[in-house]
Amino acid sequence: MIEIHDLHKDFGDLKVLKGVDLKIKPGEVVSILGGSGSGKSTLIRCINGLEKITSGSIFVDDFDVRNKKDLMEIRKRCSTVFQQFDLYPHLSVLDNIALAPINVLKQNKKDAKIKAMELLRSVELEEKASVYPAQLSGGQKQRIGICRALAMEPNYLLLDEVTSSLDPEMTAEVLVILKKLAKEGITMISVTHEIGFAQEISDRIVFLDEGKILQNLSKDEFFSDEGGKSDPRIAKFLSKMGNQ
Amino acid sequence: MLDPAVMMEYMPAFWDGFIVTAEVSILSIIGSFIIGLLIALLRISENKVCRFAALFYVDIFRNIPFLVLIFFAYYGLPEVGIYIDAFWTGCFTLSIAVAAYVAETIRAGIQNIDKGIIEAAKSFGFKRVQIYTKIILPIAITSSIRPLGSVFINLILTTSILSAITLGELTSASKIIASTTFRPFEVYMFLVIFYGVLTFALSAVIAGWHKYLNRYNEA
Repeated sequence: MIEIHDLHKDFGDLKVLKGVDLKIKPGEVVSILGGSGSGKSTLIRCINGLEKITSGSIFVDDFDVRNKKDLMEIRKRCSTVFQQFDLYPHLSVLDNIALAPINVLKQNKKDAKIKAMELLRSVELEEKASVYPAQLSGGQKQRIGICRALAMEPNYLLLDEVTSSLDPEMTAEVLVILKKLAKEGITMISVTHEIGFAQEISDRIVFLDEGKILQNLSKDEFFSDEGGKSDPRIAKFLSKMGNQ
Repeated sequence: MLDPAVMMEYMPAFWDGFIVTAEVSILSIIGSFIIGLLIALLRISENKVCRFAALFYVDIFRNIPFLVLIFFAYYGLPEVGIYIDAFWTGCFTLSIAVAAYVAETIRAGIQNIDKGIIEAAKSFGFKRVQIYTKIILPIAITSSIRPLGSVFINLILTTSILSAITLGELTSASKIIASTTFRPFEVYMFLVIFYGVLTFALSAVIAGWHKYLNRYNEA
């Protein structure tokens, strides 16, 4: 379980998160929506400790993100997929996937590579095992990014605008994989602009506006006219994003 | 008249000097790389004192003429009881001085790494040391291999200054041969060729290494 309580995050004078409360239960798929600058990505970056929180608390399976030792445990349990992929450019695809399991989880090298190969097979990129990230398309890079995250066998998968750098065709190939994962029951927290995708995979939608949670509703409620859409800010956001 | 054949008689003397130059060069390249790497890491340390100390080091050694530095080390230090022979004085001073340039080159390589890659590694729970050894340094050294090559070629050329502290390296050997034969033109022509061989050899090694290390950048 991820428990976020009264989370504040400032960057100097800029207050990005202003008191966020959120609980995410195991097995849930939660999409975080909101306009640019609403604090969506910052929220996800606070969970894995990439941003130091200003005040409030975040607990992941009872580990405290503010405690250095706990943070390492949290990072083993939460794997992130990044908008810009951020693969290790000097390592082959297979080594990109196996590096953290070998060095962080102390898995046996051979086993980690066998596991990495299985993951590559599941995203239909096994023939790319020995190539380097620079030789891949954006969509392929992101599929590798997902494999790299899954190789840690995380309890939670954090998705930080994973399709924002991709064209529609590549977006589709990445979303297919994520939909499959959602069905398999992995807990996902997804920051996204893909309303259709959020609608398809999510159990719950959290709408952030100016650093605060405006709505935290089940998917059906959120997209109903009486529920989320009754809020003018959400209605405006959805219509801007092309969802009527 | 120009007569390179006369030089053949002095080939063993040239060769001895060549070997000394090659030895000093190789030892100093290794030494300056190790010291430079440490200084580069201090330069980007989170500790203010470390950062300042490293900056001080770089500024000092980039702003002292090398000739002054070796005079100080070879003729000055014995005054306070530190005596090191010419060969090792050459190796140490070259290593220490060139390390300043190596440090700046590697630091630039580190600072050019996309922050997202380092954050990704952090987010997967790598320890600091692992992030440096598995990700930051391999990428930084790879991207700075060519500028490092220039620094090391400069190092080879700078070994000629060691002739000023009586080290029998290539330039020193040539000076003796020139004054014995009264044929400075031929002697120094040979000297040019010997330095050329050394620097071209290093260039070739660097180019090959660059190609190997950067194989992952070929899209």
